[in-house]
Order: sequence, then C-alpha cells, then structure tokens
Amino acid sequence: MSSAVRAEPLTARRRLHIGLGVKQAAFGYAILFPTLAVLAVFRFVPMLQAFVISFTKYDLIHPPQFVGFANFVDLVRDPLFLNSMRVSLTYVVFSVLPVWPLSLALAVLFNRSLLVKNLLRSAVFMPVVMPAVVMAVVWTFMYHQDGVINTVLGWAGIDPVPWLRSSSTALWAVILIGIWRATPYYMVIFLAGLQAIPAQYYEAAEIDGAGKWTSFWYITLPLLRPTTLLVMVMTVIVAMKVFAVPLIMTGGGPADSTRVLPLFIYQTAFEFFDMGRAAAMSMFLFAAVILFTVAQIRIFTRGED
Amino acid sequence: MGNAGAVAATPRTPKRTAAFALWTTRRRGGILAHGLVLAAVLISLLPYYWMVSSSLKTIANMFVIPIQWIPDPVNWRSYILAWNAQDFGRYFLNSGVVAVGITLGNLLLASLAGYSLAKFRYLGRGVLFILILSTMMLPLEVTMVPLFLIIKRLDWVNSYQGLIVPFLVDGFGVFLMRQYILAIPKDLIDSARIDGASEFRIYWQIVLPLCRPALVALGVFTFREAWDMYIWPLIIISKDSLRTVPLAISLFMSSYGTAWDQLMAIATLGTIPMILLFFFLQRAFIQGVAATGLKE
Repeated sequence: MSSAVRAEPLTARRRLHIGLGVKQAAFGYAILFPTLAVLAVFRFVPMLQAFVISFTKYDLIHPPQFVGFANFVDLVRDPLFLNSMRVSLTYVVFSVLPVWPLSLALAVLFNRSLLVKNLLRSAVFMPVVMPAVVMAVVWTFMYHQDGVINTVLGWAGIDPVPWLRSSSTALWAVILIGIWRATPYYMVIFLAGLQAIPAQYYEAAEIDGAGKWTSFWYITLPLLRPTTLLVMVMTVIVAMKVFAVPLIMTGGGPADSTRVLPLFIYQTAFEFFDMGRAAAMSMFLFAAVILFTVAQIRIFTRGED
Repeated sequence: MGNAGAVAATPRTPKRTAAFALWTTRRRGGILAHGLVLAAVLISLLPYYWMVSSSLKTIANMFVIPIQWIPDPVNWRSYILAWNAQDFGRYFLNSGVVAVGITLGNLLLASLAGYSLAKFRYLGRGVLFILILSTMMLPLEVTMVPLFLIIKRLDWVNSYQGLIVPFLVDGFGVFLMRQYILAIPKDLIDSARIDGASEFRIYWQIVLPLCRPALVALGVFTFREAWDMYIWPLIIISKDSLRTVPLAISLFMSSYGTAWDQLMAIATLGTIPMILLFFFLQRAFIQGVAATGLKE
C-alpha cells in the first residue's frame, strides 16, 4: 500500500524496476487514463463552460459578451420560461406517479407462477425495446383524429379526442407515452428487488396464517424500500430530461402546452441561437437534477446503516 | 432492518384448514393475475401491432370506418417506396457504425477503468472514482450547448467521430464493471503475476473473460442507447449522407407526413435491429436494464 501511495505516475514509469507496487500503480493509472480523458473533455469541461456561457450573450457568430446575471434575471420574468417550468413539473408529476404502483404491481404479478411466464414477461417488456423516435412516430399515428385510440374510445361511447391538436390534451397524450415506456423498465428493477427477498420470510408468514395482502404489506413493501426509493428518484430524473418525444410529436405546441424545459433549452440554443440564455436555462435543469441525485445518495447512505 | 419484527407483526389470523378453500382462492387469484398480465401484454404490444399492420395497409384503407384490423389487401409496396424515397441503406450503415463504435469503446474503456478502480491501489483512486460517478449527474440536456461548441472547434460537426467519441465511455459502465470485477478473487490475478504474465495479458486473458456476463449486459444496454440516440445527431448532423436512422425517421415524418404506410414501414425497419438484439440476447438485455437499478 505505502509504496503505491507515494508513487507518482511519471517517476513510476521511469523506474519500473523499483518495485512491483509502483509498476502496478502505474498500470492502474494508465488503464484509467483513457476514461478520464474522455470524461474530462466531453463532460467536465462542457459543464464548466455551460456555467461560464450562462453569464454571456452568445449567438455563435459574434464573440461572447459578458452580461452578468442578465440571462437569469430575464428568465425569471419570461412567461415562456415560466411556462416551460410548469409544463415540465406537470410532466414529471403525472408521468411518474402512475409508474410506481403500475411497475410494482406488474413485478409482483411476474414474481408468482404464471403460465408461459417468460413469454408474457418478454411481451410486457417490449415498450422498452422500441426506439424512442419510432415510439413518437407510431403514437402520433395512433393519436390521429381517426386513429386507433379514438376508435377504441368510440366503442366505449367516448367522442373523438383531438389528442395532439389541442393544448388541453397534448401534454396528457405525451405523458401517457412516458408511462407506457417507463412502466416495464421499472418493472424489471422491482422484479430484481423482489427476487432478492428470501422466500423463508413468506413461508414463515404463511405458517403464521398471514394472507397475501398481509405478506405484501408487512414483508414485501418494507424489504423493497431501497428499490422503491431508487425507482422514485430514477423516474423523476428521467422524466425531467424528456424531450425527444415532445419535440417530434408536437414541437412544443399547441400553444406551448408541451414545451418542457429541455425542449425549450434545445430550441433556444439551436433554433434561436441564444446560447447564453440556453445555458442559463440549463443551470435550472442542472440544479433540479443535482437536488434529486443528492437525495438519492442520501437515501442510500442512510439505507446502509 | 427489522425484518424479523415485520414478520412477527403480522396478525395471527386463524389457520385455514380447508384445503378446498385454499385451492379456490389460489385459482381465483390465478385467473385474476393472468387477466391483468394479459391486459398489460395487450397494451404493450398494441403499438407494435398497429405499426406493422398499418405499414401493410393501402393509404386508402388507413383511416376507413370501421377500422381495419387486418390489412386487406396487403400492401408490401410501402416498404419499397419508403426505402427508395431516401438513402436508407446509408442511414442504417451510419447508425450501425455509430452504435458499434460506441459499444466497443464502452466495453474496452469501462472494463479497463473498472479493473483499475477495483484491483489497483494508487493515490487518488477514491476521488477519481467519485469524479467518474459524478458524470452520471451531468445529462446531455445540460451540457449540449458547450458540447456542441467543443465539437465545432474540433471540426467534428458532420462526422462519425463527432457522433461517437463523446460517448466512448460513461460513469454507469465504469461503475458496473468495477462492481463486477471487485468479486474476482485477487489470488487469481496474483498467481498469474507470479507466473510472469504481463499486466496487460492478465487483463486481456484472465479478467476480461471472467467479465463476460457483465460485458454482454453492458454491451447490449449501450448498443440500445446508441441506436436510440436522437438529440445529439439532430444537433451536429446536417449532411444528408451522415443521418442516422432515428434522425432519418423523424425527418421522413416531417417531409412525408401523410404517407403513413411508408412512415410505418420505415419505423418497422428501424425497430428490427432492436427486436433482433432483444430476441437473441434477451437475458443480457434485461440484465442491463436491471443493472441501472444497482446501488453500491
């Protein structure tokens, strides 16, 4: 340990013969280096730059101009920005809340014995397999005024809904797709959590005469707590970053009703070429992601006690 | 943890003695469970069915009332028309090159970095590991503006390297490989050293083969993400010949918006690589997803 700790990569490289520890430490650094290089150039440097750019006015043509907090001050007064924050919040809350019980319920169903279980599980998993762009295109088609969704609703006597054409329904249409895609994904994670619960607990409970619901409530849920918390945080972070689907399906419309924050950042940067403003907006998104990630880390360090 | 407490806390209802009662509840529960699962299967598969069946309908039958569940007549021409409308052969090649490049890069770099972090001792290892993990908190959505500026400065706009190099490795892959390699006994590595094997040979011939399951899971997961990539190509690719499949599909929709048969045909073709991947490597596919739920 001690020789390796004192070793520095350059001297180590020059004096390979000195000791095995030094040689090994040098090799350890060497094979870590490509990863560090890629992440430094394409993750850390951009992050620092995003911070710097957020204090400038920059349109890609003229050199960036330092403007202090002007971007941030403008943003908090900009109704379009506030709208996109509200849309994002609505999207996150309503696309995430149903996923928790649905994915857990599916996992519980698949954790018991079923006929042709593996086949059914693969079928339920299929939404995760579909590429996001294909999903956006196919659902746009299904949401068509005369499309399959309105037809099925018509069987129940419901009038055709102008899904993506109306500002009061478009966001809900996008949210529904989010739920469709996310539920089987988190089902897999819940299933892994369920399978880690030792069967003896259930056997013991059954001997005590506990029913299925009692076992679920007093064994499954408490023991699944770390997985549940993880799923909660993951779903929220993923939902905060959504924008390929609304971009393809609605472009943010109608009447800005689906312009989630990441979509607005993208459009500000690459359609209006206001890099400073876009970077400032991304700081808000970054703050939200950090907040939830820190919450995630805290949950886990607490769970390990 | 209080597991024992939880078990003990279950109310002591009288034991059910009638085997018959038990049998009927199990059976009823079984029917209900199968019904619910079947409903989930239908909801999961309907978009697939609708995509494929619509790709085979004539445009006149696309929105007929009553709705046509089975295409009649079957219209294969949509596939030929769509394929020839744009240079889709090229776009599939582009997507393939990009996805394979990103996947190989992740397998190599993440396994090297994971091996380093799991089995070598050196100054700053803990800090470096945390730095690498922290990149998982930096989504593309936050860094896309400066990342684009960097790619522009490197003159990598409209290039394969611009699509591949920024994604050659990420925190998740390194984390996954490190966790897996931690479980490999140190004795195995040390005895190879005593036998005089070089460090690189130990990695290549001992560590890497032992990591096979993790590598397959990471590979499938990375390939799926890379094939799915949409925003980044949208930002840095403007040349027709460098379009990836997702980019081409979305552009096809905006330029041939009402040719639903062709659009569904091209969407079906764009999904086939993922279906094949899932079909042949199902276990690894699901393991990769389950691994995103790993914690330390």
